[in-house]
Order: sequence, then structure tokens, then C-alpha cells
Amino acid sequence: MSMNVQPDIEFIKDMKEAGGDTLKKCFQCATCSVVCPLSTDENPFPRQQMIYSQWGLKDKLIGDPNTLLCHHCGDCTTHCPRGAKPGDVMGAIRAYAYKFYGWPAPLANLASSGKNLPLLVAIPALVVFLVWLISGANVLSHEDFLHAGYTNFFGEGYMTIFGFKLLTWNVTFINSIMIPTAALAAFASFKGVTALWKKMSDNTGVGEALYRPSVPQFVKEFLWPSLVEIVQHERFKKCETNEERIRGHQPLMWAFIALFFVTIYSLISQDVLGRFIPSLHGPMAMWNPVKIVANVAAVAMIVGIVILWKNRNQMVEDNQGGNTFYDWFLIWMIAGVGVTGLGAEVLRLIGVVKLGYLVYYLHLLGYLVYYLHLVSVMMLFLYMPYTKFAHLIYRTCAMTFERYRDSAYVKNPVK
Amino acid sequence: MDKVYGAYLCTGCSIGDVLDVDGLKEAASENGMEMQEHACLCGEEGQALIKKDIEEKGVNTVVVCACSPRVMQDTFDYGDGTITVRGNLREHVAWTAQPEDKDDEEAAEYLQEAGEDYVRMAVVRAQKGTVPEPYKMEQITKSILVMGGGIAGLTAATEAAKAGYDVTIIEKTDKLGGKALGWRKMFPTAYPYSELEQPNIEQMIATVTSNDKITIKTETEVARISGAPGEFRVTLKPAGTESEWDAPEKVGVDERDLIEKGEMEDPNKGLKVYTETNPDAELVGAVVLATGWRPADVSEYEHLGHGTLNNVVTNAEFEKLAKEGKVPAKVAFIQSPGSTDNDRDFPYCNSVTSMVALKQAQYVCDDNGDNAQAYILYQHMRTPGNTELFYKGMQQRDGVFMTKATVTQVEEAGGSLKVTAENTLLGENLELEVDMVVLAAGMVPTTVDESTINLAYRQGPGFLDLDLFDGYADSHFICFPYETRRTGVYACGGVRKAETMEETIDDATGAALKAIQCIESADRGVAVHPRSGDLTYPDFFFQRCTQCKRCTEECPFGALDDDAKGTPLPNPTRCRRCGTCMGACPERIIGFADYNIDMIGSMVKTIEVPDDDEDKLRIAVFVCENDAYPAIDMSGMRHNKMNTLVRFIPVRCLGSVNMVWIKDAMSSGMDGVLLLGCRYGDDYQCHFVKGSEIASKRMENIGETLGSLGLEPERCAVEQIAISDYDKIPGILDEFVESIVEMGPNPFKGF
Repeated sequence: MSMNVQPDIEFIKDMKEAGGDTLKKCFQCATCSVVCPLSTDENPFPRQQMIYSQWGLKDKLIGDPNTLLCHHCGDCTTHCPRGAKPGDVMGAIRAYAYKFYGWPAPLANLASSGKNLPLLVAIPALVVFLVWLISGANVLSHEDFLHAGYTNFFGEGYMTIFGFKLLTWNVTFINSIMIPTAALAAFASFKGVTALWKKMSDNTGVGEALYRPSVPQFVKEFLWPSLVEIVQHERFKKCETNEERIRGHQPLMWAFIALFFVTIYSLISQDVLGRFIPSLHGPMAMWNPVKIVANVAAVAMIVGIVILWKNRNQMVEDNQGGNTFYDWFLIWMIAGVGVTGLGAEVLRLIGVVKLGYLVYYLHLLGYLVYYLHLVSVMMLFLYMPYTKFAHLIYRTCAMTFERYRDSAYVKNPVK
Repeated sequence: MDKVYGAYLCTGCSIGDVLDVDGLKEAASENGMEMQEHACLCGEEGQALIKKDIEEKGVNTVVVCACSPRVMQDTFDYGDGTITVRGNLREHVAWTAQPEDKDDEEAAEYLQEAGEDYVRMAVVRAQKGTVPEPYKMEQITKSILVMGGGIAGLTAATEAAKAGYDVTIIEKTDKLGGKALGWRKMFPTAYPYSELEQPNIEQMIATVTSNDKITIKTETEVARISGAPGEFRVTLKPAGTESEWDAPEKVGVDERDLIEKGEMEDPNKGLKVYTETNPDAELVGAVVLATGWRPADVSEYEHLGHGTLNNVVTNAEFEKLAKEGKVPAKVAFIQSPGSTDNDRDFPYCNSVTSMVALKQAQYVCDDNGDNAQAYILYQHMRTPGNTELFYKGMQQRDGVFMTKATVTQVEEAGGSLKVTAENTLLGENLELEVDMVVLAAGMVPTTVDESTINLAYRQGPGFLDLDLFDGYADSHFICFPYETRRTGVYACGGVRKAETMEETIDDATGAALKAIQCIESADRGVAVHPRSGDLTYPDFFFQRCTQCKRCTEECPFGALDDDAKGTPLPNPTRCRRCGTCMGACPERIIGFADYNIDMIGSMVKTIEVPDDDEDKLRIAVFVCENDAYPAIDMSGMRHNKMNTLVRFIPVRCLGSVNMVWIKDAMSSGMDGVLLLGCRYGDDYQCHFVKGSEIASKRMENIGETLGSLGLEPERCAVEQIAISDYDKIPGILDEFVESIVEMGPNPFKGF
């Protein structure tokens, strides 16, 4: 196969800006591929990706599953004799790919640059604040706060149509923020993943096979094993220098899984069942098993993100990884969600203990923290497909593709 | 000179502990010298002892049996009129004693016999040597001829003039400057080595033209150079013309016969014979050869289309385009012809062509801004030393794309060129669409096309065996980089090695200094190199010469011409004092004041050969002084065990080993002879280029002679030793001795 080379100089410049400023230093000695525990003879990354980037072969890189299979342990960067930092370049390629596949493009561009940080915070902050204003700018008295917690943040009562109680005010407004945001993220993810899959297929010449797996086959043979691998961190563990990061990533991942179910439970119990059983409203009792799971998860999230934060600092200090907005933004967002979430709960609980007149102010502070929690959650949802958080979908996609690429469907197709 | 001997034995450095001092003194006494002992001859007291004898007793020949002659040379140097001979009892004997043999009487006896033999040899050597008289020329010319007016020639001329020497610089074309005149930019010469610089050739030319010690002759060539260092006679001619003084080709004895019989055409018809002296010739003391290079022809690589496709050019042609104006935006620089079975670059390519590609890639970037695309397709990028920094700088440019690649085809495609390449670092075959293709044509030294130096020597007008160096005028790239095989001629710049400008300037400075060293050495009557300062030179006893011409043929440096009668005509200032002529002479009429046939032969004969003990075999080992001897010393310094049946005899070069010494050794009952010298062949290390090779050829012949006497030819052998082989030498010797032991003692022993 011959490749007609059309270098994209703009792409090289973009890469240099996105943390890959050292990419041109590579002289292809392949030390990186040798030290990399994941690189193989057939897929000698990151060496090959380095020359692709030097040559401005954007098309090759954005459809390259190998860049998404890297866990950025930084071994290549540590051992690189030229200071070309292959690990950082791989990160920059991923950042570029997330932006490239991101939809809508303006939002994707916005979320991929540190310069936009104020705006990135301001948008959700403003949305939540406006919704709060629209909902009536409700501030509970501290007595009510002790009883209802934050469940009446967007006001009390029900939203009714023709006398039929639809949802509580609060849930209505939360949903009005979060559901469109999540839907946008979901749609963007779907678009991105399908586009990536197509690009990867085109680049590797996959896709001409007559016989393709059915959806259940696909899930069973490719997607599910990938998910299992991800959850068990099998590949991550191969990068031995990442031990510390795994220690942070694992609790964080479990926290997200747990909180996902807790949120679903909460949605069902409060918003569906709660309509018929009003006592389900309000904060869950502390002894409720679901609440225990939620609290454990919240703690795990904070522990995990603290470990990752420290690790990232260490990497930057050891020159193993760059100091990029792409890497930090996700850490900040998750830390924000964790700290404000747990913080709001703790403030509520302190309020219950009744600390004299301090309570008057505490519940206002609680309100503020809860507000920030909503903002940070919205950020996480909204920017998921464009920031490092997108690894959630794209890495899964690449790992699935890798399995598919190496399967009999592709290697030995029926023609 | 009446010799008054003084012999001294040092008992320090464990010599006195290991050896029986009285026995050693007895060995000297047998040969007529009474040896005085001292515990530390190199110390103040020891020196006083010797100096007192010199002053009071008039001692003028000192025998020092102590450490190796390679150490303490200044200490035991008592001036030019005094001969000092050193017996090596320390490194060769005392330090080879092993602690575990301390109480072994037999081992001690063997060691003692070795020690006594070294004392005997030192004594005999002192008796046979005379004080050398330097060869003084009647007249000497100290000016320097620089051939070539490029960077190398200009630098050499400037440097020699700075040192106070008159210089004549000749240039074939009509102006000075050479290749550098055509450069748009030159490589960076200072930190951070990132920016190309404006060529400073005009400045260099101005320096030379304004220097009144330098005479410039443009449009001039050398017809012939005859004579020798200190008195070279140079015949000049207008460039491109023919002259009756053009240097003649070598015509050997057999060819001469054929020509006389009319069976062969005389290649030198119409030319003056090489022995004839041109009265109008200019006299110079030494020559710096800086005739440079030409770009290689790359049209033989048809798939690359040079000469058939438009816009496929060589790097030299591209430089010209760049100098004249803007270069195209998309350019592929091809560094290797792209064979599928090897990764060779174009002929005569090296680091310079790599650097040129980088430099020219910068032209592409500079002229075309963001549209620039400079592809460098290489098999090797060579950027040694600081040039690596330039490589790093060019790598950073967005418009420069490099990959290792096998270029398979360049073809025309819709108004532009399509370059196809395999085995790239991108993991796929490439197709590049470019406006221009630049092929890395190498730098062919002028010595590939013609003899260039045009010497009127018996061995011919050019340098010998340049095919060992791909035609570059280099004779010993490791040890003596500027030296050619013609003493007094020093090559530098592109004719010696493909070099950058910076390297060339260093190189030319070195060559100029070498030329000065040569002139001054000739003036003082001493050897230039490698035996710098050696006062001796070969002395011929011509009455017995049979005109066999072995010496003239074998001299690696063409020092000998023929006189009108066909007798060898020595040119002592061309000579490097290796003694290859002495080794070659069947009549044994060539010798040096302190190194001759009789001396070494007598030393061999003075080795005691016990004829009543089958275990006490004796093996004479002739050891090259340049690498093998120091290696044996180093082995001694490391206290390695050494076979006690061998006796080392230092020689200037294996080429100087006359076969009569081997016959002497065998006829005096010795059981074997080994020659230890430098490696020869393609990657030779012989300091005199050909000595060890010639010796091994001679040894093949002596093997046959031994065979006819009923002796095993294997009793004589040659081993190649590098200076770093000190740890292997004891093993090599043991193995050889073992093979002699198997053969048994020499049957002629005792006769």
C-alpha cells in the first residue's frame, strides 16, 4: 500500500500548541516503543505516531486506535534521549482527536483550550443561576433546610398540569438543566464514536468484509470483553509506572459507577415513587444502604482524585508528563464535583447537629456549595465528549475496535 | 670514535630480587664489559654514578640493563655524542616472574637465562653501534608550495605565511576561492550552531592576496615535482596544457625491455625522463596538496532520472540555483540511490552531504515560508560533533520532513515529480509530489581522476594504493592523518577526506604545520615522522650493489630513484628510516649507524643456545618497536607470565627484518623464529604502511628455504599484533612455543 503524503502544516502547529511542542525533536530511535509495555511489533507506538505527527499526517492520527490505547505512563518520555516527550505528544494527539470528533464544533473548540476556562465555568454557572432565578430564587429558612436539605433548592411543591401532579418543582428544574445537557453529551458521543469507528476502519482497510457480526455478537465478542478489561484495569496495570495512578483511577471509576446507580435510584425513588409516597422526598436517611453506598462512593471519589492530582503533580515535576490544560481540567472538574457534593452534605449534617445561631449562616453556605455542585456536575456532563473525560467513550471504542481488528472478521474475512 | 664503555645494572624494581646479580654481571663480563650494579640507576645517586664515569673515565657508550628502553628516555640520555643502549630486564624478565613460582628453582633458572641473554644482547648492541651523523643537505629551500586555491589551500597558505614561510599558491582556474565561491550560505561555525552563515570566502581570499609572503599563480598547474623535501623542484605550466616536463608514468624493468624491443609503446613518449632535472624549475621545501574535489556523477542511477528528467538536480546544481535565486517550495532531498539489497549512500557521500541536505532544506524553508515542504529521504544522516546541533535545529522546522527510506523511483507526474519510496519509518510506502528532486552527489577527490601531485619519482607520479581509501589522498588515517606516502607532501581538505569548511580549516592548518615540520627536520638532518628526530639514515655500501632494485621497489615511500647507471639513488630527506630497504637487500649492504645487519645478527648469535637440554629450546622473536614491543612492555607492567624460552629482539619495522637474521638464528641452533608486527591489508596499522606486509611475503619464501634444508617451515611464523593485544601476547607466544616443542629441537643444534 502506498501513501500519498500531504502534510498538514496547520495540524503540526496545533499539535505543538496542544502540549506536543517537542514532537519535532524525535529522531526515530524507537527507544519509546521498546520501553513501552503496551507497544507491539505490529503497532510500534509511540514511535510511529511521532513521525506521523512530524509529517503532519492528521488523517492517519485521528483514526489511529493506538494513540487511544496508550495510558500515558510517561516511560517513553523518561527514556527519550532527545527530550521529544512521546507520551505528551500522544496526549496531544488524543486531545486533538477529541476536539476533532467533537460536536458541535464551537463547543468542542471552547472546551479544548485553557484560555476559555472562565467561559467554561461561567456558562454552567449562569445557566444554573438563571434557572434558580426562574424557579423563584427560593432560599429555605434554616428550619426547613434541616428538614428538606437541598431537595427544595429550586422551590417547593409540584409542577401540575390540569391538576395532575407531574414532578416536583425542584426535579423539574434540575431535569431541565441536566437532561438536555446529558442528551447533548450522549448525542455528541454517539456522533464522535461512530465517526472514529469509521475513520479507524477506513485507515486500517477494515469494512470491506461481507460478513459482519450481529449486534449481540459484537457486544459479546468485542464490547463486553473490552468493558471487563477496562473495569479490571488489566491493560492499565501493564504500565508499571502507573501503579500510583491506578490506585487513584480505580476508586474513582468505581465511585462513578456507584454514583451512576445511586442517581438512577434517587431519580426513581424521588421522582417516580415519590409522587405517590411523599415520605420518599427529602434527604435519604444515613442508614439507608443506598445512602451508605453514595457516601462511600463520594469518599472514594475524593480519595481517587486526590491521588491522581498528586500523581499528576509528580509527573510534571519528574518531567514525565506535560503540564497541560487537557490533563488538569478533568482533574479539576472531578475534584469540584466531589468536594462540592460531599461539602454540601457535610454542611447539611452540621446543620442537623444544631450549632446555635451559626446554623443561620451555615445553611446559606450549604446552599452556595450545593449551587457549585450543580455547576460542576453540569460542566462534567456538558464537556464530557470534548475533554479528557471523553476517554471514557473513545478509549472504550478503540479497545473494542482493536479486538475487532484482530478478529477473524477482519483478519480472515469471508469474501 | 674510540668507544669507552660503561655498563650498569639496576637491581631496583625487583630485578635484584628475581635475578642473580652475579650471574648477570658474569654474562656482561664474558663479552668484555664489567657491569656496575646500583639499586636505583634512575635515582640521583645512580645518575651521578654514570655521569661521573662519563666525566672521569670518558665513557661514551653506556649500557643500561634496567627497565624498558621505552621509559626513562630522558634520564638515560647523555647527549648526541653518547650512545645509550638499554637492556630490558624489568618488563621482559623481572616483572614476568610469578609469585607462585617463588620457590621453583627450575623457573628461576629459566628466568635467569633469559636475563643473561638480554644482558649479552645489550652489550653486543653497544659494541656494534656507532654515533649517528645527521644527513646535511648542501642547500635547503624553506618555501612551501600549496596546490589548490580553495578553502584548504587558502588556509594552509595563510597559516604557513603566518609562521614566517614563503608560500606559492597555485590554482587551476582563473581565480582563488574554489568551490566555496558558489555557496549561498555556509554551515554554522559557532554555538548554538543553528543559523547558516554568510560565506567568508571573500575575506579569506583578501587575506591571502594582501599577504606579501604569498605568491599567487592562477591558471597554473604542476607539470612535475622532482627532488626531495627541502629541495623539491617544481615545474609549473599553464593550466590545461601539455608539457615535455609532465610527470612520466612508471616504467618497470620488464616494461623497459618490451619498449626497447618495440613490443610496447612508451607511455612517456615525448616526455623528459624522470631523472632529468629541469634547470628552470622552482625550488620548494615542502608541498601542501589541497586540490579538492568534484561533485560525483549520479546519472548512472537511471531510476532517479538525473540527466533525463527536468528538475532532478544534484546538490551542487541546487546550490547554484539557490545562489542565483529562489528555490521551489516542495523539494525532495534523496541521500541514497535506494538499492533493495543494501543501504549504501551515493558514492563519496558522508557527513558533509548530510549537512548539505539540511542546509539546502533551510533554503527551501527560507524562500517559501509556510508553503515549504523539504523532504529528506536518507539511509544515513551523519551529523557528527557540533553539527548535530544544526540537525536538531532543522528538525524543529515545521516544513522539514525526514525519514529513512529506500527511494525506488522518481518520475514525471502531471507537471511535477513523483517520488516513490519503500521501507520508510512511517511503516508504509510513500508517494511524494514535489517540484524538484535533489540527489546527494558525493565529493570525489581529484586523486581519483589523475595523479594530481605529478611526482617525477621512480615509483611513478601518483600516490600508491589509494584504492584502500577510495581514492582519497590519505596514507594513514588513524595515526598520521596528513601524511601521504610521499614525505614532504601533505594532503588536506577535500582531496584527503570529504570535509566541512570548519574541518577543512583545521585540516589545512595541520597540513601547513606538517610541511613546516618537514622542512625544519630536513634542515636538521633528522627524520620527520614517524621516527621524528631520528638522526640516522640508511647508508649504502654501493661497491657491492648488484642493482637488483629490491630496495627501490619495496621502499614504501619511494625514497629511492635510479641514477644514470641504474644504481639506487637515495633521497635521504624522503626517507622515513623504517629500514625496509635494509630488510630487502640480499647483499646486506644497507644499514644505519645504530641499526644494521651485523648488529642484529650478532645479537641473535649471542643468545646462548644450550645444546644438551631438550627442554631449553630457544625462540628468537623479532618485535616491531611501534606496537608489538610496547604491547609486550604493557604485558610486563601487568605482571603477566611470559614464556621464558623466547628472546625478544626489537626491530624498527618488520619490513627491516633481513632474512639473514633468521638463517643466523636457525643455524646457531635456535628452534624457531617468530615475527611480531602490525596488522596489514585493508585496515593496516603498520606505521610504515607496507613493512609488515612485505615481511610476511618474505617469510613465505624463507619457509620454502627451510623446507629444502629439511626443517619444518612452521618453525618460522609471523603474527599480527595490535598495541591493545598486550593480554593476548603471552598466549600467542605460548602457543607458538608449544608448536615448536611438538616439532622437537632444531636438528642442527650443536653443529
